[in-house]
Amino acid sequence: MTINSIFLMVLTGLQLGAIYALIALGLTLIFGTLGVVNFAHGALYLIAAYCAVFAAQSLGFGLAIVLVPIILFIFGIAMERGLIRFFYQRPHTDQILVTFGIAIVVEEVLKWMFGANNIPFALPSWGAGQVLFYGLGANVPAAIPGIRVPMPFLEGFAFFPAWRLLLIIVTAVTIFALFALLQFTRFGLVLRAGMRDPEMLRFLGVNVTIRFSILFGIGAMIAGIAGVFGGPVTQVSPTVGMALLVPSFLVVVIGGMGSMLGALVAALLLGMASSFTTGFAAAVGDPTAKMALTALQQIVVYLVAVVVLLIRPRGLFGKKGIFE
Amino acid sequence: MTIAAEARPADAVASAPAPFFAARDVHAYYGESYIVQGVDFEVREKEIVALLGRNGAGKTSTLRTIARAAQPSLKSGEIWLGGMPLHRMSTHEAARAGVQLVPEDRRIIPGLTVEQNLIVAQVAERPGWPLAQIYEHFPRLAERRRQDAITMSGGEQQMLAVARALARDLKLLLLDEPYEGLAPTIVREIESILQEVKRIGITTIIVEQNAIAALQLADRAVILDMGTVAYQGPAQEVLDNADLRHQYLAI
Ligand SMILES: Nc1ncnc2c1ncn2[C@@H]1O[C@H](COP(=O)(O)OP(=O)(O)OP(=O)(O)O)[C@@H](O)[C@H]1O
Ligand SMILES: [Mg+2]
Repeated sequence: MTINSIFLMVLTGLQLGAIYALIALGLTLIFGTLGVVNFAHGALYLIAAYCAVFAAQSLGFGLAIVLVPIILFIFGIAMERGLIRFFYQRPHTDQILVTFGIAIVVEEVLKWMFGANNIPFALPSWGAGQVLFYGLGANVPAAIPGIRVPMPFLEGFAFFPAWRLLLIIVTAVTIFALFALLQFTRFGLVLRAGMRDPEMLRFLGVNVTIRFSILFGIGAMIAGIAGVFGGPVTQVSPTVGMALLVPSFLVVVIGGMGSMLGALVAALLLGMASSFTTGFAAAVGDPTAKMALTALQQIVVYLVAVVVLLIRPRGLFGKKGIFE
Repeated sequence: MTIAAEARPADAVASAPAPFFAARDVHAYYGESYIVQGVDFEVREKEIVALLGRNGAGKTSTLRTIARAAQPSLKSGEIWLGGMPLHRMSTHEAARAGVQLVPEDRRIIPGLTVEQNLIVAQVAERPGWPLAQIYEHFPRLAERRRQDAITMSGGEQQMLAVARALARDLKLLLLDEPYEGLAPTIVREIESILQEVKRIGITTIIVEQNAIAALQLADRAVILDMGTVAYQGPAQEVLDNADLRHQYLAI
C-alpha cells in the first residue's frame, strides 16, 4: 500500500461520494423543506443522463451541460405542480408509494424506448484524458500529454481520469452555490423561514407555495447536473436510477433526515468506505483476505449505515422529531 | 378611480357607507367539526374591538378565519376589508390585502435573527414601516437585532410579533392573546405599545383572556359564545355590566 494508491483511493472516494452527495442533496433538500420523501429522485437522474446523451450527440457536450439542468428544473416544477403537491398533507408512506411509482414508470418507459442495456455516453474530447499528479523531484517524461498537478507527498507520479476530477469539482461548486443561495440570499432566507413555519410566512403575505415549487425544481436541477456529469461515470441504463437511489437514500438517513451538512458528510463517508474496501481488496495478497474484502465491497455501504444508526439512531446530524 | 365609477347609482342608493371591516354570517370548519357558526360583526376604521368569550368560544378560530388560514376552512359567509373580498382570497393574498394576524404563541421564526424575522415580513407586497422606524419605536429590538429571535424573552418576542405586523402595510391588525404568559410589568410594556398602535389609528381586533385589559384598550366589545356573536356593544358597557361579564366571560 503506497502513498500513491492511498491518494488515488481518496480521489475515487471523493468521486463516488460526489455522485451520492448530488443525489442525496436533492433528496434531503426536498425532504427538509417540503417534507416529501422523493423516491423518484433517482428517476430524475436517469432522465437527466438520457437527455444528456442525446443532447451531447446532437448539440455538443457544452450545450448539454447547460440545457439538461434547465430541462430538469422545468421537469421538476411540472412534477411538483402536477403530482407531488397533492401529497404534502398525506402520510409519508403515500408519498413513498407515489414517487416510487413514478420511478418505476420512468425506468420502464426508458427501457421500452432505448432498451435495457447501457447506451454509450462518450466523453467530450476535452474531458477524456488523464490528469497527472507528480511528487517532489519526480521525473515526468515530457511526452505525457494533459494537465499536470504538483502533489509534493507523492512518490513519482500518478494518474486520475480528468472527467472524474471534473465531477468532484462540479459537485463542490454546486454544493457551494446551493449553500450560498440558501444562506446568503433573500430567497434563501424566505425558504429557510418557510421550512420552519410555512403558515406564518403566508400570514406575512409570502406565497410559500411557489417558492417551494421552485425549490423542488432546484432539487431536480441538481439531479440534472449529476446526470450530465455523472452519466459517463455511472453509465446510462434504466436501472442506474434505482442503483443510485438506494445508497443516496442511505446517505440521507445516515446524515440525518433533512440535514444537508449531514448528507454531505455521509456521502463522503460512504464514498470513502467503498473506495477503500475496493482498493484494499485489489492490493491485499492473501487470497482469503482478498475474498473477504471483495465480499465486503458489496455490503460496506450498508455496514456503515448499520453502525452509524446503531450509535446514532437519528443519523449524524439528525434532529429530534423529524420523520418520527 | 374614475369619476364615473364613484358616481355609480348603486353607491348613491346605499343607505349607509360600507363598514371598513365586516364579517357576514361566517361559517368555518376544522375538518368535520363545525366551529365558527355564523359569526357576524363589523369594525369601523381606526376602531379597536375586543373579541371576547370563554375558553373554546371560537375566538382564535374566528381570527384565523379572517386571516384566511387554511384551517378552519371557510364554508360560507363573506369577509370584507376596505372593499376587498377577503373570503375569496388565499392566506397570503389576505395578508397582502392588509390583514395582519399576530397569532397566539407569537410564531417567531426560530433560527432567524430578530432582523431576519422583520425582513421576511417585508418580502411580499406591500411593506409597511421601514426597519429604521421599527427600531426607533422598539429600541429593545434594535439592541437585539442580531440575536436568534427565539432566544428572546416572551415579552420581547411579543414586541417582535407586533413589530413584524407593523413591518407590513396593514389595514387590520388581529391580536390573539398578546398578554398571554407575560409578567405584569411586561404586560404594561406591551399595553403601552398597543396604546401607541391605537394612537396611530390602526384598526384592531384584540382577543385576550385578560378581558379587563382588552376592554380598557378597546372602543367596542364583541362577545362570542359557542361560535356565534352573543353580544356586541361599547367596551365601557361590558366593563360596567357585571351580569354580562359573569354570563359570558366568567369574570
Ligand atoms: N385544529 C383544530 N381542530 C379541531 N378543533 C379545533 C381545532 N382548533 C380548535 N378547535 C376547537 O374549536 C373550538 C374553538 O377553539 P378556539 O381556539 O377558536 O377557541 P378560543 O376562543 O380561542 O379559546 P381559548 O380562549 O382557549 O384560546 C374549541 O372547541 C376547540 O377545541
Ligand atoms: Mg384562542
